[in-house]
Amino acid sequence: MAAATERIEPNARAERPPRDSSGMRPLLSSILIIVALCLLWEGLKSFSKSVDYALTVGETTIDLSLFNDTQLPHLGDILGAFSEPSQRNGPPLYAMLLENALYTLWAAVRGFVIGGVIGFALAILFAHSRLLQRGLLPYVVASQTVPILAIAPMVVIWMGRAGALEWSVPIIAAYLTFFPVTIYTLRGLTSIPSTALELMQSYAAGWWDILIKLRLPNALPQIFTALKISATASVVGAIIGELPSGIQTGLGIAILNFSRYYNQSPPRLFATILMAGLLGILFFAVIAGIERLVVRWRAEVAS
Amino acid sequence: MTSIISIKNLSKTFRGADGVEVHALENISLDIPEGEFVSLIGPSGCGKSTLLRMIADLIQPTGGQLTINGKTPQQARKDREYGFVFQSATLYEWRTVIKNVELPLEIMKHSKDERRARAREMLKLVELGDFEEKYPWQLSGGMQQRVSIARALAFQPRLLLMDEPFGALDEMTRERMNNELLRIWTAMPEMTVVFVTHSISEAVYLSSRVVVMSPRPGRIAEVIDIDLPRPRGSATRDLDQFFHLTSRVRHALRQGVGLGIDE
Ligand SMILES: Nc1ncnc2c1ncn2[C@@H]1O[C@H](COP(=O)(O)OP(=O)(O)OP(=O)(O)O)[C@@H](O)[C@H]1O
Ligand SMILES: [Mg+2]
Repeated sequence: MAAATERIEPNARAERPPRDSSGMRPLLSSILIIVALCLLWEGLKSFSKSVDYALTVGETTIDLSLFNDTQLPHLGDILGAFSEPSQRNGPPLYAMLLENALYTLWAAVRGFVIGGVIGFALAILFAHSRLLQRGLLPYVVASQTVPILAIAPMVVIWMGRAGALEWSVPIIAAYLTFFPVTIYTLRGLTSIPSTALELMQSYAAGWWDILIKLRLPNALPQIFTALKISATASVVGAIIGELPSGIQTGLGIAILNFSRYYNQSPPRLFATILMAGLLGILFFAVIAGIERLVVRWRAEVAS
Repeated sequence: MTSIISIKNLSKTFRGADGVEVHALENISLDIPEGEFVSLIGPSGCGKSTLLRMIADLIQPTGGQLTINGKTPQQARKDREYGFVFQSATLYEWRTVIKNVELPLEIMKHSKDERRARAREMLKLVELGDFEEKYPWQLSGGMQQRVSIARALAFQPRLLLMDEPFGALDEMTRERMNNELLRIWTAMPEMTVVFVTHSISEAVYLSSRVVVMSPRPGRIAEVIDIDLPRPRGSATRDLDQFFHLTSRVRHALRQGVGLGIDE
């Protein structure tokens, strides 16, 4: 039969090329961007210094004191601060920051898991009940318009009363993380091509099979988008949550302390902020790594 | 012979969001005996998909009776009496080719070994045995559609409903797919096929009967028996009888849409 004459061999056809497996290009470009930002930082500083922090253009004078050494320390000084003692006779700053970062990360991870589970459960509920979705989704949205700074002290008080003060920071982090998970997961669960759903109906599949074999896999890319947002949000939530908690450790506490002593040593605050940023990126990267393992059919597709 | 599909005075009226009614189908009566290959042909919008989807219990009729194997369409669907092939292959992109074919068997609670074995067999039947572990995007359109046919056949339904399955394929691939479909149908003599198409030659080449439909509202204009000898092959298309039958279908189509419309 005709079929045998023009058979296509496996691998012969791949409409979309497999992704660049080396992974070097994104690394290279991010290094380039970092270098460019550093050059910009130092360039602005030395330029401002050369004109004595005041640039006169025609009639107007622009104040460039923003770029002086107290407002914007040299990058070298910031990096140098890591190895200097954090306080008199204390351990070097990097060791102190690392300890605090781990503490904050642990709270963030717990908050991420709590928020993720709650957010996911809400999405499943909303996907199966129009009534619940109509009734509750507005409150879920409204919850995010209340500033976390207003919620945090209340959570600390409640948790203190309940005798679970160590959970106050994770719960504040969870407050930030459940929302993207609910919204993105709900969209992934419900935005399904109609024929894909009709296929399930033609098999007389039950809601559980439809959830497990169609809705969830269909939602996975969106779920991971949400988890990546939540990962960074949980770090922010944990840092903010530490402020009113009365706890003595954590990056949030370190930021608070170093900002109090800012005038004596600006680089220490910048170093702490850098640490907080790295923590968020680390968490994000871990989730992105898991995504690549799980969403394999997409990883091969991505260009 | 017993009818597997029995349709009496069936009609379907859609009510749009603006309250405007569309009479998609009116007074359709048709009996399809078991083991036949029946094509539905007609101009766009005459209700072919609507009819097929009512048989599949994906939408409900607004009037008349419809039984499949003596049952209501809903019961037939619950009993997994039919396999449906959509115009687009509708493969799940997160599943490999073989896992896509296994999907209905998973839902129907077949054992793991049985699923594998049956899916393998079906993929061989559509000549995609070497592509088991590929993902759908690695396949051409025609290959994807063959996977979806394998999937529809995997649980051995007695009825195969196909809505323009080859509509998106080029002429060469389409003819090849026609031959494959005939080969599969011949291998399963009990199986009844209801096949929606826009192509006159495809309908005549494949079918034992061609149902010509006319639009606004959708009606059956004529039912034409295709008594071409089997097995059919490329020589079939050169027969005088083939030309004769295609022009009969073309004529019926033209009558259906009204004489004001030219070729
Ligand atoms: N869900 C719906 N709501 C409202 N009207 C519909 C709906 N589905 C189909 N129709 C209308 O019913 C009529 C028949 O549609 P149908 O899809 O069955 O035609 P068809 O013969 O399959 O056409 P084509 O060859 O283009 O696929 C059309 O006029 C269409 O606009
Ligand atoms: Mg159609």
